[in-house]
This record gives sequence, C-alpha cells and structure tokens, in this order.
Amino acid sequence: MLESLVHVCLTGLAQGMFVWLVACGLTLIFGVLRVLNFAHGAFYMLGAYFCFSFLSWFGDNFWLGLIIGPLCVCAIGFLMERFFLRYVYHLDLPYQLLLTFAFVLIFDDLVKMAWGAGSLGSPKVPGLSGSVPILGRNFPTYSLFIMGAGPLVALALWAALEKTWAGRIIRAASSDREMASAIGVRVPALYTGVFVFGTWLGALGGGLAVPYVGLLTPGMGESIIIEAFVVVVIGGLGSLKGAFLGSLVLGLLSSFGTRFIPAFDMFLTFILMAVVLLWRPEGFFGEAS
Amino acid sequence: MAKKDITRRDFVKAGLLTAAAAGLGTGVLKPTGLWAAEPKIQGPVKVGYQAIMSGTLAGYGEFHRMGAQMAVDEINAAGGIAGVKLEVEFRDSTLKAPEAIKNARYFVDSWGADFLAGVDSSGQALALAPVMAQLDKPLMVTHAATEKLTEVEVFKNGIKQVFRICSPTYQDGNAAAFVAKDLPAKKWATISPKYEYGYTCWSMFKDTLGKLKGDSEFVAESWAPFGTTDFRPHINTILDAKPEGLYSVEWAGELITMIKQASEAGLFKSVKHVMLPVGAAMDVLEGLGEAMPDGLWISGRYFFMYPDTPKNTEWVNAFHKRWNHYPAYVSETGYSTMFAFKKAVEAAGSKESKAVIQALEGMELDSPAGKRVFRKEDHQAMYSVPWGLTASNPKYPFKVMGKTVVITPEQCFNRPPFEGEGTKPPFKS
Repeated sequence: MLESLVHVCLTGLAQGMFVWLVACGLTLIFGVLRVLNFAHGAFYMLGAYFCFSFLSWFGDNFWLGLIIGPLCVCAIGFLMERFFLRYVYHLDLPYQLLLTFAFVLIFDDLVKMAWGAGSLGSPKVPGLSGSVPILGRNFPTYSLFIMGAGPLVALALWAALEKTWAGRIIRAASSDREMASAIGVRVPALYTGVFVFGTWLGALGGGLAVPYVGLLTPGMGESIIIEAFVVVVIGGLGSLKGAFLGSLVLGLLSSFGTRFIPAFDMFLTFILMAVVLLWRPEGFFGEAS
Repeated sequence: MAKKDITRRDFVKAGLLTAAAAGLGTGVLKPTGLWAAEPKIQGPVKVGYQAIMSGTLAGYGEFHRMGAQMAVDEINAAGGIAGVKLEVEFRDSTLKAPEAIKNARYFVDSWGADFLAGVDSSGQALALAPVMAQLDKPLMVTHAATEKLTEVEVFKNGIKQVFRICSPTYQDGNAAAFVAKDLPAKKWATISPKYEYGYTCWSMFKDTLGKLKGDSEFVAESWAPFGTTDFRPHINTILDAKPEGLYSVEWAGELITMIKQASEAGLFKSVKHVMLPVGAAMDVLEGLGEAMPDGLWISGRYFFMYPDTPKNTEWVNAFHKRWNHYPAYVSETGYSTMFAFKKAVEAAGSKESKAVIQALEGMELDSPAGKRVFRKEDHQAMYSVPWGLTASNPKYPFKVMGKTVVITPEQCFNRPPFEGEGTKPPFKS
C-alpha cells in the first residue's frame, strides 16, 4: 500500500510539473500583455516538432535539439506578435481569442503539411530513458527529471522578475502601462520581448514533452492548453506562483483521482476549478478587481 | 519570345485527334453485360466518404483516403462502374456525431451522393444509422466497430441502409478471449478507453473468456478518457492489482503513449501476457518502431501480411509503391468498399438504394483481406483477421506479427438473433 501511495504521489508531482512548464509561459504573457494566448498550445506543439526534427538531424542529441528547437519557435512568436497581435491589444478579449485561435488552426495545418498528419514516435533520451526502482517499483527517470526541471524554471523566473533590472521594468509595465510609457519604457518593444519569451517557455515545454508523452501528433497542444488554462485560472490570472501551486494541485488531484475515484477523474479538474472560483473568484494569488 | 499561333494545320490535327479519341472512346467503353440492353445508370456513381482528418487522429483520415483513392483510380482506369465514372468526395468527420450527421446530409442533399462510406467512431455510427434510414442511401462503415450498429440498428431496428465492411468488436472481445484461454494467465486487468468502444470490448472479453475458462478472474479496470497523454496513473492501478494478463483496446496515438509509458514503468516485466486488439494498426507499429516490446498479442481489422495470397501481396506492393507506406486497416476497408459498391451496382444493374442493398446482402467480395461475405441478417462482413505475437522481422523497420493464430468469424462472431442461448460464442457447432 505504501509503495502504491508513494508512486501515485510521485506520478502526480511529475504530472503537475509538466503542466507547470507549459502554463508558466501562458500566465506570464497574460500577466504582462493582458492577452489570453490560445496559440500557446500551438507553440508547445511546434516546440515539440522542432525539437524532434533537430534531434533526428543531429544524430539523436536531445539536448542540442532542446536548445535550438524553441529558438526557432521564438522567431514565429516574434512575427506573430509584431505583425498581428500588436493590433488587437486595444480591442476586447473576444478579438484576441479569435485571432489566437485562428493561429492554432493555421499552425495545426502547417504541422500537418510539414511533418505529415500521422503521429511520430519519439526516440529515447540517452541517460534519462530508463527507470529507477523506488520501494521495489520502477519509476521513470525522465519523470524525475521533469520534477526537477519544474522548480528550477520556477526559481529562474522568480529571480529574473524580482532580482533583475529587466524584471523590474516588466513588473512596472504590467502594473501600469501608461505610467511606464511616460517614464520612458519602450512598452511595445517590451511587449514583444515578453511575448517571445513566453513563446520560448511554451516551446520548451513542448520539447520536454517529446520524451515525456512519447508521441507527436498535429493538434497535440489542444489537451495541454486546457490543463494549462485551468491552472492559470485557479492560480490567479497572471500569477506565476499561483500557476505553480495550481499545477501541483492539478497533478496530484489527477493522479489520486484516477487511482482512487476513477469514476470522477474526467471532472475532477473542472470541479476543482469551479470550487476555487466560487471560493476565490480571483484565484489563489490573483488580484481582486 | 514569339507567341506561337495556332496554325490551320494544328487545328486540323487537333480535330482529327478529337474525332479519333471519340471513336476510340465509344469503342472501349462500349457497354457490355447486364446493362447493355437498357442502360439504367445515369451520370457518375458518387460516394461521399467521411473520416477523421483533423486533430490528433488526422493520420487515420489520410490512411482512409489513400486506400479509397487508389480504388477510385483503379476502377476509373478500367472503365468505371458499369461504364460510368466513380466519384468520391472526402470530408472531415471530426469524430463528433453532429458533424457526421451534417456531413451525411450535405453529401446526399447537396452533393448528390449515391452512397456513403467511412465513419470512425462507434458513437458517430450509432447516431448516423437512423439518419441513413431517413436519407435512404446505403452507408458502408469502414472503421467504427460497435456490434450494436449491426445487431441493434440493422438487425433489430431494420435499418437496411447500413453495412459494415470492417470486423466489429467480436474481433476485439470474442476472438481475444479465444486466444487468451490458451495462455497461462488467470487474472486479467484492463486499461481501455472511457467510452462505448472500451466498455463493450472489455465486457465481451470477460463474458467469453469466463465461458471458455471458468476460473478466469478480472481484477482491475482503469478507464482512460479520450485524449489521455499520461497513462502513468492508470499504470499504477494495474500494478497495484498484480494481474497476469493485461487487455487493452487503447488505439492509435494513445496506444503508442501507453506502451511507451508502460515499458518505462516496467509493466511488461511484471505482466507477462498482453493483448492489444488494435495493436496491429500501422500507425501504432510504425510509430513505436523498435520501442514496441516483443511478445505482445496484437490484432486489427486487417493486417497487411495476411492473407498470404497473390491478390493481397500485389495490392500491398502497389500501395507501398504509391504512398510509401504499408496499408493501414482503414486503407484496406476504404479500398474494398469501393469495389463492394462496384460489384453491387453492376450486379443490380442500378445504383438505386433498394436494388443495391439487395445486391449487397449475402454478396461475396474478393478483397485484399481475403473473401468477405456480407451477412444477410445484420449486414456485417464476415472475414478473418489474425491475432499474432509481436516480433522483429529483417524485412520491416517496425515490429510485425511473428506467430499467428486465426479465429474464424464462424467461431467468434455473435449470431443472429443475437439474444438468448447459443447466439454468442462458444458455439457447439
């Protein structure tokens, strides 16, 4: 029983950290730009496909693929912000959702044209593809790696936003755009930068998903984006620590739910969201408005 | 560059060529056989084909299309159906029932389809059945597998417009039980899709295996919702139950993901006997490549290495040459569907629904998958698909079936009237 509980717990933590790695970019973009970027799931997908391709070109060097792949997606994110998204910042939320959703469909079809409509199986990651025995049962090494990578990314983001000069400017622009602009911050350029960085985070999540999910399919971003939205909403829109906590709760709930109350596993996530929103409409760490 | 004008000589040449072609055309396409006396068939024969072409399962739609398109090209190159051209239009079914109904109505009402084909999900097929009765056009189901479509909608409710060319859940549930009864495993568990298809297969497997081998136990079930990408919580459930056998009708990408994650968790080390009724799908075998463990039982609705007949070999080679893929089972069913319509229309001498339905009932069809017979009572095609153990083969860059077992449809298909004693296997005779 103990071994079972420990494994259910570890599985949930890994699941949560995996969602966090995707959700952090989404919540960062919302926090600063006030745009709910539906295309974030598409960046996740593109990140996965680019990493996969570089991985096969560079003779199965996963780490090199993980560095270059997301950078390519950044270029796409840059073009999208510079030439499209920029023109809807002042419009209502539905326009932003429509535009970003259009990009989801476009990217899905582009992936189909470039890589084919079928699914691609991912290769193994050297050194991380096996499993380690924990209490007599095997636990995937890569899941342990994800559990380590999640908090590391969280720490790096926190340090970048709280301890650096650039971070201070980003925080200033996110809390009062006009004032920041008035004291000489180049807000449009800053927005582009933050959007590209958020894109990079989403694509990095996609790259890390290649061995975690084990499979690439066009449209693979759709399921993860829903989970990412849930954790961003329950954590408080735009709050990084909220998304981190939300991811942990979601992962554990999903793992324990599937194991112990399987009849409800499909709704648990949404029940969680409903309860949190009733109790605290602004989410764990959101600003009440 | 000087523009090249059409000279008088060119004009005459073109005229002569057209005349010659016209003369030749009527000579070649001269109607023969039944319909020669009174050509009843007007215009092209139109087939509306719907399959999943978007989202994570879009690869299936591609495989449907490759098979069906090949048949269309072959049929038209050889003079069409009863002398008229065969036309096919493809639409994305999106796996949602309302969309399937919308497509069917579009095909019949706006596009003028004579026949419909395709359909991937059981839910869609069941929703479409009453609509087909209304539209009164034959539908050939090439992928959806629920036995309720043929047992309830066709046999019991009398919806004669619906036919199914692919093997139904009998192959997944009953045939699997016939294979499982000879394995040294008593305790079975499942990770299967959390919808109709998963539930119906597992309950069929349990019923039939329970009858074939009385001391079988079914110790755990974990149902994975559609779109699951993390099977690790489900794998925990199975490991906790410590079964000897695992049965799973996970399919397509989700099966690939499950196998990879189960391998990592060491599931195949502790559970020795694994049955995957749709594991022999090409997307799964190609997607997993070397990552597919050896010694798992797999099956499908068709497997390209079976039967070992010249017709099948020739077809597989032609398919591979044209598409650079081995045919998936939906490619075979899509391909054979066009030939089923051709044979039925030519036998009926008409493309009218009533005549074609009559011709299809009890019709034999020689196809790459072997001889099919459309059972008169429930419109289900009877043919064999093997079960086999995964193994490497130097000829292919993915795992294929090594040792195979064939459970014939006579042994494992439920029989009309589908209710009461003696309608479900095992049969006495």
